Amino acid sequence: MQHVAVPHAQPQQRQFNPYSENGGTILAIAGANFSVIAGDTRQSEGYSIQTRYAPKVFRLTDKAVLATNGFAADGNMFVKKVRQRLEWYRHAHAKDMPLRAIARLIQTMLYARRFFPYYVYNILGGIEEDGSGAVYSFDPVGSYEREACRAAGAASSLVQPFLDNQIYFKNQTPAPGTTHPAHLPLSHVLSLVIDSFTSATERHIEVGDGLEIYVVLAKGSALQGLDAIQGLSELTTTDDGERMFVIRRNLKRD
Amino acid sequence: MSIMDQNGGSVIAMVGKDCVAIASDLRLGNQALGVSSNFQKIFPVTDRIYLGLPGLATDVTTLKERFRFRVNMYTIKEEREIEPETFAHLVSSTLYEHRFGPYFCEPVMAGLSKTPSGGYKPFIAATDLIGCLNFAKDFVVAGTASEKLFGVAEGLWEPDLEPEDLFETISQTLMNAVDRDAYSGWGCVVHVLTKDKVITRTLKGRMD
Amino acid sequence: METSFAITGKGYVIVAADTTSARSIIKMKSDEDKIKTLSPHLLMAYSGEPGDTVQFAEYVERNIRLYHIRNLYALRPSASAAWIRRALATSLRSRKPYSVNLLVGGYDTSEHTPHLYWIDYLGTMSEVPFGAHGYGAYFALSLLDRYHDPEAPLEEGLATLRRCIDEVSKRLVVTPGKYKVKIVDKDGVREVEL
Repeated sequence: MQHVAVPHAQPQQRQFNPYSENGGTILAIAGANFSVIAGDTRQSEGYSIQTRYAPKVFRLTDKAVLATNGFAADGNMFVKKVRQRLEWYRHAHAKDMPLRAIARLIQTMLYARRFFPYYVYNILGGIEEDGSGAVYSFDPVGSYEREACRAAGAASSLVQPFLDNQIYFKNQTPAPGTTHPAHLPLSHVLSLVIDSFTSATERHIEVGDGLEIYVVLAKGSALQGLDAIQGLSELTTTDDGERMFVIRRNLKRD
Repeated sequence: MSIMDQNGGSVIAMVGKDCVAIASDLRLGNQALGVSSNFQKIFPVTDRIYLGLPGLATDVTTLKERFRFRVNMYTIKEEREIEPETFAHLVSSTLYEHRFGPYFCEPVMAGLSKTPSGGYKPFIAATDLIGCLNFAKDFVVAGTASEKLFGVAEGLWEPDLEPEDLFETISQTLMNAVDRDAYSGWGCVVHVLTKDKVITRTLKGRMD
Repeated sequence: METSFAITGKGYVIVAADTTSARSIIKMKSDEDKIKTLSPHLLMAYSGEPGDTVQFAEYVERNIRLYHIRNLYALRPSASAAWIRRALATSLRSRKPYSVNLLVGGYDTSEHTPHLYWIDYLGTMSEVPFGAHGYGAYFALSLLDRYHDPEAPLEEGLATLRRCIDEVSKRLVVTPGKYKVKIVDKDGVREVEL
């Protein structure tokens, strides 16, 4: 019998982290008869930029746009699954799912993964059945709320208080005998969105490169000066429904 | 839980046209519990220099006392008032003395420095907790709401604001930033320094 | 659990502290006086790590007394509080910091004003209209936000304090039994029974 010196086996631990964080910021603002959904296009991991153009804002239907932020792989997969469910809905009901129903669908889909969540913050924007502009914001496990505006992602803490001030007029007292407007005109909203992203780009390393702003106009509403905006292209497919546009802009690349 | 977030609080300083402004919240907390709604974090150093000290409250008080002592010694030895630039370096070296066991404060300074022609030039600066100076040309922020302050200030600030417009800009920036921060708020105070006077106002805002 | 409150009113400060002295889960004593009289018009309620508390309080007491003897007048409340704070702040960065929380209440005989200082073991100090330490603070502070009046006469101040004590007895799981209540005003320091 031979004695072989066996080194004592040390306990070993292995770990796999299924998540990562890809930076960027998204933002949506609802108007009276329009909705604006925007996001930057930088995708990063740590200090490295993976790509300068990775869209985070996706068209779902003729009147719904979904912006996703957080873990890009989860975001893309989630959008894919939402689109699949919307297609099944079209086959079953021969019409697009209404916005509020899409919002509830997203909640259900997110909560279904309560214990292995999609690591994504979602903002859904579009036009409600009554023709009003709407924004729905979600947390990764499906808590959601309809709001007038919302910022999410890496620079949300920079942008949200600015929006509180400029959209909700927080800490501003209206002149005697007047009230603050409940909804802002489209041109004003677009300037705020652009300002928000230029500010976020200036102070946050994970924000920059490109900006995509989706604009959804309610049925029969005027362009409201949208045609004068540079970098605009129309995505509308029908000629009697909501109109959808995208504005593509450059942001600083440093 | 970071030691810098123990007591909460935020400070911001901004440059205007021939004027500067510095503002802070008034909260003193113990983690989530609010203890005082009248805790001053901004202190006059001379008639033309104000110093904001957000961070760990015990060090806020200690540093306030320490800077008062060192500025008084400077004034006696030099037989003149300290200039903002000089004071900024005094702050920096005082903090760096404690490089490996720092005071947990991030000072923010605002002042008007004398020019050779006899006028006054706006001056702002901030340092980190070990005294790394940041001489910004527009605005500086520090404290638990610093990210929010950066975001709002970057959106609202513009060059060459007159004293009253600068007051409005810094007030709106501070209030909207601290309203999104659980550790800052509970009242605000703003100082606007011009060549011939200092305007100090306490703001009426949300108290939650 | 250790609890202490203090409130200011018209020309007075009331300081109250529970009288239990505990080692972990055992109540060792139920008539401990945790409010020291530092000078004719100055009170200090102390709580925290057993051992540190008495040691630090006596250190403060003797130094304030020494100042009084040397100068023939007592150190004013604001200066006393600043000195005590400094002692804690220095101690914080020493090898073994004192773990003591304080409420320093005094009557300034030259300005004829009451003063109250909330001080914690880190050396954090703030002048407050009312203050509290321990778990009781979570109940007392919100209650005092509602009922405190800086211009209230003494009877009203004591009634407000009573509310704080009752609320803590009602809602806190581990309730302190008795409280010692002391008042400082223009006539000096005195103890009262609630």
